[in-house]
Amino acid sequence: MRAALAGDLEDVVAGHGRLVFLEGEAGVGKTAVLRLFLQSQKATSRVHEGACDPLFTPRPLGPFVDVAASVGGELQRVVAADGKPYEVATALTHYLAGREPTILVLEDVHWADEASLDVLRLLGRRIERLRALVLATLRSDELTRTHPLRVVMGELASSSAVARRQLAPLSLAAVTQLARSTGFDPGALFARTGGNPLFLTEVLAAGGTEIPATVRDAVLARVARLTPGARDAVEKLSVIPYELLEVPADDLAECLDSGLLTPTATAVAFRHELTREAIEESLRPDSRAALHRQALRSLESLPAEARDPARLAYHAEGAGDRGAVQIHAPRAASRSASLGAHREAVAQYARALRFGDQLSELASAKLLERLSFECYLTGEFDRALEAQAAALEHRRRLGDPVGEGDALRTYSRLLRYTGRVDEAFAAAHAAVRQLEPTPGRELAMAYSNLSHLYMSSEDAAPTVEWAEEARALAEQLGDDESLVYALGNTAQLAIIAREPGAAERIAELFERSCAAGLDEHAGRTFVMRVWWAPRGRSYAEADEHLEEGLEYCESRGLDLWRLYLLAYRARACLDRGIWDEAVNAARLVIDDQRSSPMPRIVALSVVGLVRARRADPDVWPVLEEAWRLASSTGELQRIEPAAVARAEAAWLEGRPELVEAEVVAALGLARARHREWIAGELAYWRWRAGGLDTDPELDTHPEIEGPFGLQMSGQWELAAAAWDELDSPYEAALARADGDEGAQRRALDELTALGARAAAAIVARRLREQGAQGVPRGPRRSTRASPAGLTARETDVLELLAEGFRNAEIAERLFLSRKTVDHHVSSILRKLMARSRGEAVAAAARIGLLEDR
Amino acid sequence: MQTYVILRRGGWQSADDLHEAAARSTAEGERMGDDVRWIRSYVLAETDGTVGTVCVYQATSPEAIRRHATAADLPVDEIVKVADTVIVRPDPAPVAA
Repeated sequence: MRAALAGDLEDVVAGHGRLVFLEGEAGVGKTAVLRLFLQSQKATSRVHEGACDPLFTPRPLGPFVDVAASVGGELQRVVAADGKPYEVATALTHYLAGREPTILVLEDVHWADEASLDVLRLLGRRIERLRALVLATLRSDELTRTHPLRVVMGELASSSAVARRQLAPLSLAAVTQLARSTGFDPGALFARTGGNPLFLTEVLAAGGTEIPATVRDAVLARVARLTPGARDAVEKLSVIPYELLEVPADDLAECLDSGLLTPTATAVAFRHELTREAIEESLRPDSRAALHRQALRSLESLPAEARDPARLAYHAEGAGDRGAVQIHAPRAASRSASLGAHREAVAQYARALRFGDQLSELASAKLLERLSFECYLTGEFDRALEAQAAALEHRRRLGDPVGEGDALRTYSRLLRYTGRVDEAFAAAHAAVRQLEPTPGRELAMAYSNLSHLYMSSEDAAPTVEWAEEARALAEQLGDDESLVYALGNTAQLAIIAREPGAAERIAELFERSCAAGLDEHAGRTFVMRVWWAPRGRSYAEADEHLEEGLEYCESRGLDLWRLYLLAYRARACLDRGIWDEAVNAARLVIDDQRSSPMPRIVALSVVGLVRARRADPDVWPVLEEAWRLASSTGELQRIEPAAVARAEAAWLEGRPELVEAEVVAALGLARARHREWIAGELAYWRWRAGGLDTDPELDTHPEIEGPFGLQMSGQWELAAAAWDELDSPYEAALARADGDEGAQRRALDELTALGARAAAAIVARRLREQGAQGVPRGPRRSTRASPAGLTARETDVLELLAEGFRNAEIAERLFLSRKTVDHHVSSILRKLMARSRGEAVAAAARIGLLEDR
Repeated sequence: MQTYVILRRGGWQSADDLHEAAARSTAEGERMGDDVRWIRSYVLAETDGTVGTVCVYQATSPEAIRRHATAADLPVDEIVKVADTVIVRPDPAPVAA
């Protein structure tokens, strides 16, 4: 393992940064390996270390606070000023970009708070360019399937600069060696300890003739042999931090000699967290509470700047001190929230509320509202709703109409997020009624909220009407936020309706939001610019804003919007036939607990469709989930992606009779809102499924424009050309599948190259039924996945790139638009991880993409 | 994790090719251990002289199996989900041995 780490460090010295996750079960010796490695490297590299706390609710940015203290400079200033995760990551990046190789150690990241995980994620994405080796240790046995660290590791998994190294327990041979001078049977010792070095050490140190059943028993056996003074010291230290305690020197020396404690640079620590836990758990409840009380008092007597509210809240709860929990938990919560550690903020507010049965109505309402907001930010929408409903009750009892109206408005917004749109409208109207007697900022926000609800339902007239009310009041009050909110709703409506000048309005709104310091609203403008592009597939323009938007949202911690943008990327990649990338983007959205239902529906629909098109299993569980989130909302933007995906999946499975049920509600909604593209798409699936006979008038409706209409009226050639122009290879192939034998054979090749096994089988069967010769019985032999996952068209473009043609020339030769070729080239560069065309050609040659051509 | 059967018909020219692929598969499988676990494979003697496989994997999703296949450069013809396992007898000793 040390050799592997040394290899990683060589890469770093050569200019390629590395992030290495050092994994193993608790007690397997991660820290020991790390120490030995660091000792051998201290002379040649700068080393900084940070550790995560095993506290139930860790302090925000814990490990980076440690690192900042030893790095100093800009990083320390940012951390001391309560910088956000992206600011910390940026400062750290600047530091690590220096000339000297640096080793950054982050211990026990399975305990990391949310803000630290965000820093780690950002660091991991930039690590390749830094001269740094980041070593993050973690307990693999703590990594449950839904652990937030797993999401971070999943997102970084595709990077070649990120590696995971497993530390295995000792083998039977090694255990036999260790047991040689003892009376233990090596086989039994190995079976009981599983080769875990910590357990083995404890067993051997405890002596005796019987092997204890667990590490805990082994540790307690060792404690039992200490003198009373030393035993008292380790018991106290298991609860009270060393720096707050005065331990008699003799007792401390005995603890160190026994190996239960080890010295660190500035203090002493337990040999292992499991050791400390075993001892703390063995304490009687009353003496444990007394020790927590002692720790609490000592911490409270520290100067203000040295007091960490998360630690205070932890000991306050351990001491069962209601008053102290009320003081420290909300402070810890708001500090966590301001640093972007929202999961920790939720835990701290919940802690305060657990001890809150004697709070006033107002204090309870405020705590619940903050809890609700933090739950919303972490994606716990049901819990957010529940807390907000409880807060509303307190506000009602207070007899404060403005507070109640404002709480109602928030409640309405949360109801919409979770898909309870009817109730959201009711609450929004109630909020307006409640606030109208006292016109103020709250009323302007309530008007904007109502406008937002109508906009989400794509109901134009009331959207504008309520936005106008909001604008008038906001301007009168000089309130930026409610004004920007109202203008955003109407601008978004203009985008949906493709009104001229809509893009300029959004650009202006972005400037205005930035000028007013409203990051959240500025971030929302990027979602507005891309979200509606799948209608009409106007991806070329939207894409210009995607990367910029991701960068903006990422660098400001606007995760809600970032996930919307990723869902959009998934959809855009799906339509362009880049299915691996579509699924990767969708997976980031689905795995992240912070995703709200809207982007989640899109991501689930993309995954379900890719599976259906590839004839992979598990299509319907994801499509059922998408439908569950969408069906009751009455919002076309939610229902349409799920309905279209389900209709296509049913058709591909040869069950066209199901299509009608999937599309009918959405089709009615799309027609009512005059959304022609979607109406065309839904009518098209109905036509594909044979629905033409049931309702000829509806389906040959002249208003179905664009490629869907062309296809339905039998003009497959024009439809295919239109799809080619829109850079939609799958749809183009399906259009050609409606053509003559030559076109059908081409469609079969194209579908096979895309990996569209389900549609390819349909086309092959069609060809055979027409008596065509030499059509394989199902496309059994798929070609090996193309290296780097290039599509057939991208490979064509790449070939011409290799011959030195410019984009305009390639466009001419392949009969594509210039814009489409630009897009293919940037997609090729991305997939080959190349920065220039030359690099792309070199990379393609290296992996054999250009060989046999 | 779910259990899946993966068909890779006629994916290799020879047994040697397959051995190399198996090594790549194992290496990638270790890297992706949280998402994909290779359980066992049966090597198929295809009628055209090539070699194929039927593989049993556990995986978190069909996409994970495809990611593994792309990374290890393995063909994938079909992924089928396993609904149940009926074991009548243990596998016989390897046929070729």
